[in-house]
Amino acid sequence: MNKRVKNSIYASPYVVWIIAFIIIPLLFIAYYGFTDGEGNFTMENVAAITQPMYYKALWLSVELSVLSTLICLLLAYPLALILRNMHIGSKGFIVFIFILPMWMNFLLRTYAWQAILDVNGVLDQLLAALNLPAFNIINTPAAIVFGMVYDFLPFMVLPIYNVLIKIDDNTINAARDLGADYFTTLRKIIIPLSLPGIASGIIMVFVPALTTFVISDILGGGKLLLIGNIIENKVKADNLNMAAGLSLILMIFIVLNMMFTAKYDKSEGGNML
Amino acid sequence: MNNDKLIDLVNISKSYGKNLILDDLNLYVRENEFITLLGPSGCGKTTTLRLIGGFESPDTGKIIFDGKDITELPPNKRQLNTVFQKYALFTHMTIAENIAFGLKIKKKSKSYIDDKIKYALKLVNLDGYENRMADSLSGGQQQRIAIARAIVNEPKVLLLDEPLGALDLKLRQDMQYELIRLKEELGITFIYVTHDQEEALTMSDTIVVMNQGYIQQIGTPEDIYNEPENAFVADFIGDSNIIPATMIEDKVVEILGTKFKCVDEGFGKNKPVDAVIRPEDVILVEPDKGIIKGKVTSLIFKGVHYEMEVMANGYEWLVQSTKLVPVGTEVGIDVDPFNIQIMHKPESEDEEAVALDE
Amino acid sequence: MKNVAKKIYLVLIMLFLYLPIGVLIFASFNDSKILGKWNGFTLKWYTQLFENEAILNSLRTTIFLATLSAIIATVLGTLACLTMNRMRKVPKSIIMSITNIPMLNAEIVTGLAFMLLFVGVGMSLSLSTVLIAHVTFCIPYVVLSVMPKVQQIDNNMYEAALDLGASKAYAFVKITMPDIMPGILSGFLLSFTMSLDDFIITHFTRGSGFDTLSTKIYTEVRKGIKPEMYALSTLLFVTVFVLLLLVNKKPAKVTERSKHAKIKKYIAAIASIAILVVGIGFGVTGGAGNYTQEVYVYNWGEYLDPEVITMFEKETGIKVHYEEFETNEEMYTIVATGARNYDVVCPSDYMIQKMIENDLLEEVDFDNISTSDNIGQQYYDRAKGFDPENKYCVPYCWGTVGIMYNKTMVDEPVTSWDILWNEKYKDSILMQNSVRDAYCVALSKLGYSINTLNENELEEATQLLIDQKPLVQAYVVDQVRDKMIKNAAALGVIYSGEAIYMQRENDDLEYVVPDEGSNVWIDGWVILKESENKEAAEKWIEFLCRPEIALMNFDYITYSTPNDAARALIEDEEIRNSIIAFPDNTILERCEVYNYLGSEGDDLYDSYWTRVGAADSE
Repeated sequence: MNKRVKNSIYASPYVVWIIAFIIIPLLFIAYYGFTDGEGNFTMENVAAITQPMYYKALWLSVELSVLSTLICLLLAYPLALILRNMHIGSKGFIVFIFILPMWMNFLLRTYAWQAILDVNGVLDQLLAALNLPAFNIINTPAAIVFGMVYDFLPFMVLPIYNVLIKIDDNTINAARDLGADYFTTLRKIIIPLSLPGIASGIIMVFVPALTTFVISDILGGGKLLLIGNIIENKVKADNLNMAAGLSLILMIFIVLNMMFTAKYDKSEGGNML
Repeated sequence: MNNDKLIDLVNISKSYGKNLILDDLNLYVRENEFITLLGPSGCGKTTTLRLIGGFESPDTGKIIFDGKDITELPPNKRQLNTVFQKYALFTHMTIAENIAFGLKIKKKSKSYIDDKIKYALKLVNLDGYENRMADSLSGGQQQRIAIARAIVNEPKVLLLDEPLGALDLKLRQDMQYELIRLKEELGITFIYVTHDQEEALTMSDTIVVMNQGYIQQIGTPEDIYNEPENAFVADFIGDSNIIPATMIEDKVVEILGTKFKCVDEGFGKNKPVDAVIRPEDVILVEPDKGIIKGKVTSLIFKGVHYEMEVMANGYEWLVQSTKLVPVGTEVGIDVDPFNIQIMHKPESEDEEAVALDE
Repeated sequence: MKNVAKKIYLVLIMLFLYLPIGVLIFASFNDSKILGKWNGFTLKWYTQLFENEAILNSLRTTIFLATLSAIIATVLGTLACLTMNRMRKVPKSIIMSITNIPMLNAEIVTGLAFMLLFVGVGMSLSLSTVLIAHVTFCIPYVVLSVMPKVQQIDNNMYEAALDLGASKAYAFVKITMPDIMPGILSGFLLSFTMSLDDFIITHFTRGSGFDTLSTKIYTEVRKGIKPEMYALSTLLFVTVFVLLLLVNKKPAKVTERSKHAKIKKYIAAIASIAILVVGIGFGVTGGAGNYTQEVYVYNWGEYLDPEVITMFEKETGIKVHYEEFETNEEMYTIVATGARNYDVVCPSDYMIQKMIENDLLEEVDFDNISTSDNIGQQYYDRAKGFDPENKYCVPYCWGTVGIMYNKTMVDEPVTSWDILWNEKYKDSILMQNSVRDAYCVALSKLGYSINTLNENELEEATQLLIDQKPLVQAYVVDQVRDKMIKNAAALGVIYSGEAIYMQRENDDLEYVVPDEGSNVWIDGWVILKESENKEAAEKWIEFLCRPEIALMNFDYITYSTPNDAARALIEDEEIRNSIIAFPDNTILERCEVYNYLGSEGDDLYDSYWTRVGAADSE
């Protein structure tokens, strides 16, 4: 038998799987998004985004997710650099530190933040004990950004760290040797070489932040609707067509984000590992 | 070659954790010298280079460059440049950008930089490669770019860390000549690190043989080859017959129970020593005409010569000769007194271990 | 100096990452149900954990699901890598891109896509649908870890094996497999962890009859998580932490081989936890043991004494699959799409009406429910508002919507909804996060019917709610309870049923039904048309209507019971005659029952409510 034919036979279970469970479900989203409850074609679900209440929620989501992605990047980059320069023997240990919290369910961890940041919460009690004024960010956009940064920071740190440790020490030494001071080396060598990791990190943080409904639910006090909350509410209210329509809009942003970052990241998020 | 010390390493020690890498090392480098640090991996040669380059700082000791103490100076402030082992080209830049890197930092004018790039590429025989990406070149080409990138900065000293290690044999030989030519043209000091003794012998003005953090011998290639000071150097440089022997008196050594004439003096009487005889210095003659008798046990054709093993007086002698002697032939062994190098026995167990290590 | 700064930075980040974990571990030893309110040290949550079948079951399900989906994903993903590696460039990159979609796409979209797929092809949501979803989103992680290893495979070694006489299969198993094994193992691990931590996709694809830890926690989040959950999480976390420390202990020389061995140890550790956990009790859907029948119950969260389930199972031999919902609307979506199969559900009045109109309910055979007479006739009469002939519903709980306030924080008499618009209480007001209840407040304040479909009136109410938004601390459902007990807010809109419990916990709280009127509601048991266990469902209702059982539930949930026989059994006279628990007619006269507004009415309310949601909060 032809080798290629044989290979396709071995590949077929997998190909069937991804068609059935990746492609077709997306087609279902498209179908529901462009039809009404009776199955007639309509643009209404997608066009809904032009209504202020929807585009406001979408805009708020974009704002908060961009902001939290930026903060994650600003926090994660120096962190990854420090970790890289520590030359800890096993890379596993670093990964371990950032993966370990995942064994405590993220809903619980976010909920714990609620208890910490809440009015009269743990933090306020602590501040009161120190005679300091209360710190009120709960139920504000700041709290949501805080939660996003908390939940997604590891997804920014790990890809950047993984790229940074692959940079040969001598590449950095070479720049120094050629007269570059530390910041020039950072700007001209280290950052450009770690762009794939940064790109992976941005994908891994931006998309879940853009689409979350849990964090805004728990830390936003229900006062702030993100596009994720709206979709989830539509599902709850049994308006699946609208939910699908808005999901299609959301996917435009996801694809845009991927196209933007794909320029730098050939591994498509692969630097996570 | 003038004799001014350009670089002086004084009482340098360096360790990583519990591993002592360099122990009280003293070494100076003269201007315009091609000096090679030679030794097996882990001998401290690369660490020495990195100390000079500024990528490490010593635990104790001083580094003097051109009369100034540069021990604490960061690498970007030192007037020397390094060619790294695996080239360390900036893969996200073009060749031109790589070469211009140091010049841009020094804020040189555009036309100056362009001229320099052209000049440097010509020097390394890669004209026209300006706009290629660094990782699209072959190993040898990358190596030459790494050199070009370093020399455009007109350093007083070029540090080269096993720059040819990753190249294949033919390319390595070509590059050796290239480096010698470059050094002649540039007229600067080269400090070269390698574990390849042939490379060291071919190119250097001075060779520093190192092992386990200590300098074993410093000398011209001829000195190192012909008069190794200890068994380690003898063994590390070229093939050798290192035979336990006894110095009977000045100019007479007893090797394997037979007295040989030699030219060494001052070892005292009846002192145990090691005798080093290079395989090409062992002369095979008619059985009766030699000093001792033996029998050829193996024979390999090596191109320019044959390599044979001869069993004589219980020792397997390594012999290189352009003349073929079939296996099984009874032969006599003769050695010119000049070609017998007498060395002290290692005194401590430590040194013994060092010698056995290789 | 620079190094000190670096260390401080590291410590701060670690604190940030691990602080909430510390809080949760702390909470597992706290003798209070409320997170962040220290009542003293206790170990009781740990002992109660091992008696809490619901949590243990969700743990088993979670581990079972994570193990199975990691195994399947690893097999499929590895197969994909091996075959993809031999493909031509174009098909390879197409397949690779498709593989990565679930990893790069938003979870909510992936979850919704799966839900639409399963509902669309008429597959009811179950453990298998979650499994399929988990396998699918785990595969990219397997491919990511295995692919690099596959690309590094040295074909010479494989050929050498063939040359030495090995069969292709033998060479593959002995030569190729060990080569890519580290990739396979780390892919497995990653999948396991991803599946374990997933909530959103599980949320959308989950079937009835089981919970994972995530979905269980999510249901609990809004009303205060049961401290047993903290205990369990602490145990899990500490176990994994210790195991990983042990595995990571020898940092001396990390060779490729020792890394390999390390991952192996890690897997062995996880496998042993998995076996242990699954071993605690048998199976996930299995474990049925001696039960002859089963019944799927869908009820409000915290709306039943768990002991009652055990008693019911013991007496009748019917296995109860008990699940909770958060809002009527959420329940309706699940039931109406047939996503999950339930037998007996406990919706509210207007929702019952909607379900009757949409032909989702089966008539109740009251002859089979001898205890239904214990429910007072006045409640059946009131139920005629949504179940005109009393054919479908057996009332279970009832009550009013009103204002709970803290006497120490509110210094004026609370008689009107107006107080919820008083600037003085900015950021101290808790509103209900559900359409009908929120509009009930606004419409009542305006003096309109809470069932109005008049767009002008709704417009007015919407504006009122938008105006109120900057004053509101949070829109929540059951969390009003914990927050007010913690003195975190001065005023909250809440159901009368919570009031008794809250007063028990905090003396300063008082409940009132405002003068403008409000909603009086009834929740009742209904049997679904699609039910396959009608007999068991009837037995369930019969059991709950028994006076002593109704009393147990009343004591536990403190919501007013329509069961007159049970009310008569209440020992505490103050409660038996409490006007909060059993409001008199003067209060009830000004209250209205919710009606079903039709699907257009629903959409109308929903779109107005979304406007409130999207409005600026400052």
